[in-house]
Formats: sequence, structure tokens, C-alpha cells
Amino acid sequence: MRISSNVVFQSGITRISELMSSQAKLQQQIATGRKIQSPSDDPVGASRALQIRHSSSINDQYALNRQTAASNLVTEESTLASVTNLLLSVKSAMVTAGNGGLSDTERSFLAMEMRGALDQLIGLANTRDAAGNYIFAGYQSQAPAFVKTATGATYQGDSEQRLLQVGATRYMEIADSGAEIFTAGGNDIFQTLHTFAELLDTPITDAAAAAAFSAGLQAAQNSIDQGLETVLAARAMVGTRLNELEALEEFGQELSLQYAQALAGTEELDYAKALSEISQQQIILEAAQKSFVKMSSMSLFNYF
Amino acid sequence: MASSILDIGKTALNAAQVGMSVTGHNIANAATPGYTRQVVIQGTALAQNFGYGYVGQGTRVLDIQRVYNEILAKQVNNSLSSSNEMSAYATQMRYIDNLLSNANAGLAPAIQNFFTSIHTAAANPGDPASRQTMLSQAQSMAARFQALGSRLAEIEGDVNTLVTASIGRINSYSQQLQQLNISIEAALNNGVGAPNDLLDQRDQLIAELSKQIKVDVTEQQDGTYNVFIGNGQPLVVGKTRYTLTTMRSESDPTRLEVGYNGNSGPVLLNSNSLSGGELGGLLQFREKSLDVVRGQLGVIALTLAETFNAQHMLGYDKSGNAGGTFFSVPGPVVSGNVSNSGDAVLDVTINSAGALNGSNYRLAYDGTNYILTRLDNGSTQTFASLPQVVDGLEIAISSGSMQPSDSFLIKPAIAAANGFAVAIGNIDEIALAELPSAGNGDNGNALKLAALQTALTTAGGTTSYEGAYGQLVSLVGNRTNELNIMSEAEAAMLEGAYNAQQAYSGVNLDEEAANLIRYQQAYQAASKMMQIASQLFELLLTIGH
Repeated sequence: MRISSNVVFQSGITRISELMSSQAKLQQQIATGRKIQSPSDDPVGASRALQIRHSSSINDQYALNRQTAASNLVTEESTLASVTNLLLSVKSAMVTAGNGGLSDTERSFLAMEMRGALDQLIGLANTRDAAGNYIFAGYQSQAPAFVKTATGATYQGDSEQRLLQVGATRYMEIADSGAEIFTAGGNDIFQTLHTFAELLDTPITDAAAAAAFSAGLQAAQNSIDQGLETVLAARAMVGTRLNELEALEEFGQELSLQYAQALAGTEELDYAKALSEISQQQIILEAAQKSFVKMSSMSLFNYF
Repeated sequence: MASSILDIGKTALNAAQVGMSVTGHNIANAATPGYTRQVVIQGTALAQNFGYGYVGQGTRVLDIQRVYNEILAKQVNNSLSSSNEMSAYATQMRYIDNLLSNANAGLAPAIQNFFTSIHTAAANPGDPASRQTMLSQAQSMAARFQALGSRLAEIEGDVNTLVTASIGRINSYSQQLQQLNISIEAALNNGVGAPNDLLDQRDQLIAELSKQIKVDVTEQQDGTYNVFIGNGQPLVVGKTRYTLTTMRSESDPTRLEVGYNGNSGPVLLNSNSLSGGELGGLLQFREKSLDVVRGQLGVIALTLAETFNAQHMLGYDKSGNAGGTFFSVPGPVVSGNVSNSGDAVLDVTINSAGALNGSNYRLAYDGTNYILTRLDNGSTQTFASLPQVVDGLEIAISSGSMQPSDSFLIKPAIAAANGFAVAIGNIDEIALAELPSAGNGDNGNALKLAALQTALTTAGGTTSYEGAYGQLVSLVGNRTNELNIMSEAEAAMLEGAYNAQQAYSGVNLDEEAANLIRYQQAYQAASKMMQIASQLFELLLTIGH
């Protein structure tokens, strides 16, 4: 077959430039470590990578939310532990107060202790988190949950529970309303402490007063016991949430690992394969260049 | 006798000289684009009858022909048309492909960062810093929408420029073709044979023209070419030529269309009829891909704005006021055809962004019914009256009325990405709370806003915002990939057709070298013959002495 001299040159150059551009592409892949340089390289992979990134970023976000939730719940738990201790010491003071041998003066000391406990309890109920939010105030976290009054304390917050999304379908309570803990079911332990302190300050002058004291002590003890129960139940709930967070965290980390692997499989370059490919192409390119030079230098005119 | 030998030698010498000239011409033009190799057609000179027989009178050059094959050349031209069409389409498509390829410049990370900031704000709704972050991320997401939208609008502008340039080239080629038709006809009339080099030039112009647009060429009796484009519009007919021009689209003021300056003034050429070549590729890209991508991106912007705003308005801001519009986004763009005779003002609004499909529409009126054509697939719907709600759009005539054959172009989502903006200016206006009690810890609405990230809001409630963007990336990737492959295939076909044409018509230097030797030897032989004739003549003269 005839072949035109133009074609010899042109097809030689076309082949060489094709090889060079495919080498440049491999080079780019090796330099970036990514096999997908633009969506057209692998349309399915590119959109899958977007999907994985999307899921992965949401998963990361839940992990962050879990941290925030855990930090809030740990604060709540330690506050409630202090409340428990405080109520236990109040309880033992009440046992002491029940001792019939105490003088009015000794009871007035106990009354001071009760007033101190009341202040302490208000302080604990007004605990703030790291960001300065009052944790027991419901949505009204900008203001103290409880304000001291002449007869104890009143709740300033609302009954809402702050939630955070800690999993794909799980919104977790990260704070509890103070009303549900300190004044649950009408059992206002602030008022109990105040009333009891007043009672301790009332001198026992006769049998009627003694009976009133005894009845008051009984009521106060009942109230504190009930309050302790509520607090312990709340602590149990917080503990359950923390446990759940841990379980969710494990699952989240597992997912995160899976996403990372899936993304690597979709986007990342197989270096061994790419490097062997580039050296193979190098050989072909060199051969093409050599044969082009040979081919194009052959001419009858050389023999004139 | 001797004078006859001398004459024969002279014809041989002359033929060898012509042979060497033609060979030299071939060698000189070996690399000239469109050059067809030429050969000398030699024949015997008329013999002389001397009574005892015919004595040959040497040789003569009958013709110098170019080795041209019309079918092979036509194949090359067809290949040039489809190859340039594909590569023009693919080149434009790669711009969009690259635009979406950058993981950091794409839309997905901006959407992710925005929703991350909502989660952060949900964890601490009273904190001004986290509200500020949310507002900033909203602005940077809006900026990303705008950047993508304006780059796509820029590509639309580039296409207008390229269409203009392509039309300019076509007009220049048609003028040169007209000139060559005139010169070639004149040369042929002289009757001395074909003007080979002029023919080459004209065929090369047809090849160049084929790169711009698909053409049909027919050769006339007088040797001139008639060249037709599109649906048979004549571009060059013998010694007259017609020009193309750019025209503002009648329905879309941002778009340049191809117009044809016929005998009765300029008419708009339907872009469907203009196939092949760079021009065909550009028009195809614009209608089949650019419009789709702009529409899809706009739908994401519209849906995000609509659904986010709706949830935002259900919440309460820092002061306990109901939430307002968080994002603002321009609605559908409607343009009436310039030749509309009615005074109707068309009002198109988004009824439900989730039901949008990204396509553009044409609304026409036939005197009785309104006909709505969905432009991406050509499906039509007919209505006896307006307003109507179709595919998430509410179409109404706000004033006036349409006359028969009036039409409007509706682009529901074209402006959405470009004009996507954050509507609130103050961080306290972000409605993170679900109750109007102005509680700092109220994050109820923030959680619901954050949940929109994974909600199936877009494309008829089938996917999320990011999912829809992923589909767009996949669509662009697939289309680009397909075009790359087709464009490579067309290039290979072109190479094959070109090689076949060159195998027949191209210059082979070795062959020419051999011819050079052959004609050189013929020349030497002829000279020798003349020398012998001259010696014979001298011998004759010495006899007398």
C-alpha cells in the first residue's frame, strides 16, 4: 500500500503525543494520590465519593455532638452526686435533730446548718456548664434556674429538655429541668429545708410543741427521702444516657472507619499499579520515539 | 531522417523536463495542507506514415492530473465535521467537569460546613459566636452557589463568543469559495486542462468549512461547487454566496442564535438543523448540557432556600420573634418572544421547589389552548385556561392576554444559583428556638434545621440537597466521559479516513525520489539520442569532402 510521507510524520507524532498525555495523566494521579481527577474520570466513583463524604461528615458531626452531650451529662451527673451527698448529710442532721436530748440552742445550730444546706442546694441547682448555661433551667438557660425566696426557692426555668442529635435517629436529652429534680411531684426540698430550719428555731416549750416538732421532723425526713429518690433516679437516667452515648460512639467510630475505607477504595490511587503502568508506558514511549526517528530518517534522498 | 531523430529527442527531453517539474512540485508541496499529488500523463506523439509504415514521432505530455478521489475526500470531510463537533462539545463540557471536580471548590463541602455550623449552634444556641459562625457559613455557601452559577453563566457567554467566531470563519470561507468558483470556471473555460492547485485550494476550503459545520457539496457541470448547510440552505451556489449571522434569540435575550441572510432577509436557523462541526457542537452543548446543568444547580438552590426558609419561619429568634426569610433566591425568568402581538404579562412563580425538574419550558397559545412544552424532553401539556400548576411551577397571566402564536420562554431555575443570598443580616434573627419564650437554651428549631441536611427534600422528595448535587456531578461526569470517548473515537475515524485519502492522494517522498531518478535518466537518454543525431548529421556533412 502507498503511504504518504505526511502520514508517516503525523501518525508518529500523534501516537507519541497520545502516550505523553496518558503519561501526564498517570503522573497527575501519582502526584495527588487520587485516581479521580475530575468526575469524568469515574462518574460513578465521583458521585459515590461525594455521598461517602456527606455521610462521613454527618457522622463526624454526631461524634462532636456526642462529646458535647457527654460533657453536659457529666456536669449534670457530678452536680447530682453533690446534691446526693448534701441531702445525705441533711438526712443525718435530721437524725441528730430527732435526738430528744438536744437543747433549743443546739437545735438552732442545726437550723443554721439547714439554712446553709439550702443555700448550697440552690447553688448546685444553679450549676452552669462550660458555656455558662444554667443546666437545670430548661430552655431559659440564660438565667439562674432557682431564685431564693423567703420560704425556699422558686423555679425560673421552664419544663423543656434540651436535646442534641447524637445519632442518625437519636436525639438525646442533654439537660433536665430543675423542676423535675428539685421540686418533683410537689415535693419542694428547698421549702422543706426552709420549713425545717424554722421548726428547729422554734423552742420546744411543752408537749404540744414537742409533738409538732416530731411531726415536722417526720414530714421533713419523708420529703428529703423522696427528694433523694428523685435525684438518684435522675442520676440513673443520666448514667443510662452516658452508657448509650458510649455505645453510639463505638458504632460511630466503626462507621467512620468504614467510610474512610470506602473513600480510599473509591478515590485513592493504587500506587503499585500506577507505578508499574507508568514504567510500562515509559518503555512504549521510548520505543515509539526510537522507531519514529528511524522511520522518518529513512529516505531515498539519503542515497543521492 | 536525422532531423526527425532530433525532433524525437526533443519531445523526450521536453517530457522528462515536465516530469521533473511535476516531481519537484510534488516534493515542494509534500507538507502543504490539502495538496494532492500530481502525475504527468504521457502519450505517444502522432506517428507519421512513410508509405512503408508509421514511424513514431516521439512522446508528448497529454495532461497533468491530480490524483484525487472524491469519495475519499468526502469521507474525510464528514469525519472532520463529526470529529470537530464532538471535540467542541467535549471541550466545553470539560470546563463544567473541572468546575465540579475540585472537592474544595464544589458545593458539597459548603453545604456540609453550613449544616455543621447549625449543629454547633444547636449545642449552644445562646452563644453569639456559634450564631455568627452559622451566619458566616451560610454566606460562604451562598458565595459558592453564586460562584458556580456565575461561572456557568460565563460559559454561556463564552459559547456566544465562540458561535460568533465560528460564523465569522464560515462567512470568510464561503467568500473564498465564491472567488475560487469564479477562477476555476474561468480556467476550465480556457480548455488547457484542470487548474490542479486551485482545485486543491477549494477542496481544502471545503475541509476547513467542514470543521465548522457539516456541509453538502455538489459539483456542477461548469466545474463550480454548490455548497449547502443545515436543512439545505445554500451557502455558495456557483458564483453567488450567502452569509450567516448571529441573531439574538427571539425568546431568550441572553442567547445568540444562528441566522441566515437569505434572499428575503435574515431568518433564524433552528439549532437542531445545524449539526456537525464546531458550530454544531457548541449549539448542542448549550442545549443538551449547559441548560441542564444550570437548571439542576438552580433547582438545588431553590429547594434549599424554600425548605430552609419554611423551617426557619416556624422557629423563633433570639428576641422571641417568629423567624423570617433566611435565604433569598430569584424566581423563574420569563421572556416573551419579540414577535408576540398580545399584551399578556406572564407571571411564573415557584409553587413547590421540590417538584421542579430543572427543565426550561415554552408556553405557546394557539387561540384556544395554552400549550406548555418541556424543553429538555419535548413533552407537551395542553390547558384550556391559566393559571395552572405544573411540575412545581405556577403559571398565570397577571395582565393582558396572549394572541395566537404568541409564546413565552420560562426558565425556572436559571437565575437561582447566581442570585442565591443570605437574607438575614443580624445573628439575633436566626431562629434557633422552637418556643417564643426567648430562652437561651432553646435549640428546638436548630435541631430541625440541622435535620434538613439529610431530609429527602429535592427532586420530588427523592434525595437530599447534597444527594441532588451528587447526581449533578454524576450527570456531568458521565456526559463528559461519554463525550471524551466519542471524541476519541471520532478522532480515530478521522485519522483512518485521512490516512486512506493520503494513501491515495498524498506525496510519498521516496516515490518522488524514484521518479526524479527516472526522469533524470530519461533526460540523459534523450540528450544522448540528440547527441547521436547530431553526430550522424555531421558524418553526413563529411561525406561531401
